[in-house]
Amino acid sequence: MSLVCLGLNHKTAPVEVRERVAFAPSYLAEAMAEICASGLIEETVILSTCNRVEVYAASQQGDGKGKAENELRELLDYFMRHFELEPEHEKEFYKLADENAARHLFQVSSGLDSMVLGETEIFGQVKKAYSDAQLAGATKRVLNKLFQQAFTVGKMVRSSTHITRGSTSVGSVAVDLAEKIFGDLSGCRVMVVGAGDMSRRVGKSLKSRGAKSVIVSNRSYDKAEALAAEMEGEAVRFDAWETVIHDVDIIISSTSAPHVLIDAKMIEDAMGKRRRRSLFLIDIAVPRDIAPEVNDIDNVYLYDIDHLETIADDARKQRKRQIAACEKLIDEYIDDKGIPALEAPPAEHVQKSVSDDGANPGSKAVTQS
Amino acid sequence: MDKILLAASILFFLGAFVYVLMALRHSHERTPMANLILMGIGFALQCGVLHFRGQMHGRCPITSFAEVLIFVSWSMVMLYFLLGRTFRLSLLGLFTSPVVVLMQAGALISLLSQPDLPKPVETLDVWLEVHASISLLAYGAFALACVAGVMYLVQDRLLKTHDLNALFYNLPPIRYLVKAIGRVLGIGLLLLTVGIVSAFLMANTPSAWHLGLSFSVWIGYAVLLGLYLGRRLGPKQLAVGAALAFILPLVTLMAIRA
Repeated sequence: MSLVCLGLNHKTAPVEVRERVAFAPSYLAEAMAEICASGLIEETVILSTCNRVEVYAASQQGDGKGKAENELRELLDYFMRHFELEPEHEKEFYKLADENAARHLFQVSSGLDSMVLGETEIFGQVKKAYSDAQLAGATKRVLNKLFQQAFTVGKMVRSSTHITRGSTSVGSVAVDLAEKIFGDLSGCRVMVVGAGDMSRRVGKSLKSRGAKSVIVSNRSYDKAEALAAEMEGEAVRFDAWETVIHDVDIIISSTSAPHVLIDAKMIEDAMGKRRRRSLFLIDIAVPRDIAPEVNDIDNVYLYDIDHLETIADDARKQRKRQIAACEKLIDEYIDDKGIPALEAPPAEHVQKSVSDDGANPGSKAVTQS
Repeated sequence: MDKILLAASILFFLGAFVYVLMALRHSHERTPMANLILMGIGFALQCGVLHFRGQMHGRCPITSFAEVLIFVSWSMVMLYFLLGRTFRLSLLGLFTSPVVVLMQAGALISLLSQPDLPKPVETLDVWLEVHASISLLAYGAFALACVAGVMYLVQDRLLKTHDLNALFYNLPPIRYLVKAIGRVLGIGLLLLTVGIVSAFLMANTPSAWHLGLSFSVWIGYAVLLGLYLGRRLGPKQLAVGAALAFILPLVTLMAIRA
């Protein structure tokens, strides 16, 4: 029995290479059939995301280091041939076998190998890759057991450590803070002052998390209208934004004004009109648009770009500090449970598998799909 | 038996408190289910204590300061369970359980230092029972509002100082806390109203001093809630008010027992 993993990711290959070897979703089933066609490999799962392309392959027939090497060679040949890669790209692939391959999958599903450490999207992507392979009939005993175990490990690592704690980008930090102030954002009105790229991103993040409406104001009214249209909001002329300030719950400011745009007096007045309801101000402009003293007003919370960057940076550092704990958890899990996928199946199981599927069971299954 | 149950109840609430602290320190982002179970067992034991004391006296077990403390603790925990998901899974237990532990520890010391002299009543004044028990339930609600107020102030402080630690991620959003404070104060006021009205139906109407104290508590909380609902107070002011106003019921309890 053998288990191998061949792949490249954001750490080993630049985006120019990763985009060349990315599998189109519509082509996955065919690709898995092609990989199994030679008969050397019986099972396969292809994980293809923007940051990684990996093929997990297994076979219940045969054993030994030579077998794994042959399978990895075959997978590599497939990539070189199929994607017409030059020989120098060969070094960008990592080749893992048996427990190392299994451990790598556990790390991937736990978010430990992701560009944004601990991100949770990869877990869904691994699930989708496995589900696609199952639908194509490309998985059997070894990969079924392995992926089920990977999902268990992924969940365990996330729930038992701080690896997902905090937000690692300015946009998501702003959204997290808004949710810690208002809870559900569905009743919140957002105002974006200055139609820069950063404010657009933060505004869109808030809108995607359910913010009720967005008002955009910019010196160039055309830009304000364009951004408002993009966020299904409303544009307000720059000389009129102060008149609606009391009516919004979140203000994102990112103008290029050389002076303070929003001072404490302005917010005091707005707070009086809004009956002291909480107000969240995000200042992502440099120089700052909002006077720092605004944060001293009761029920007003002001965060500037440095605060947001520091929080994101702290979260990234905290996640990095969690790597050792996560790795330890995975090691303990493997020590405790082993990797059943790598254990030899009962003799009758092998016999049945061969008699059912013939000499090339994987190929037959994939073809049937 | 009641003292053993009370001691066991204290241990379970203490366990719940330590468990959440450990969870916060180590990993979990949410209050784990184990905390709810520990609090639940503690509550069941409290019910047992009140049952035994009630049997002993042949009336509602609020005949001594120790029993009053147990009864208020019990009503706090009951409201904690009744107030829904937002509260239970968001650390209200962490703030409630130490208060309950302290109150019940005080009650236990008091019970151990005094011999039990059960005083079965010859004639039971139902309205006295209603007045005392409903008023103490109201005080339990005010105690919980105080706890939620403290939680608000902690979260407000963390947000203001940009200090996003483990506690910040586990505390509920401040808007939810404000809603919770308003809701608990409303429940408390309603219960206290029933408690005060029932006092006038008692066979022996309480003294003017006693009624005056109860009225002052009612007026204090009514003003606080009224100002908030009338938008004269902001969320932070409501939280500060709810935290500080609990002095009123405490003083009242001590004065009445004295």
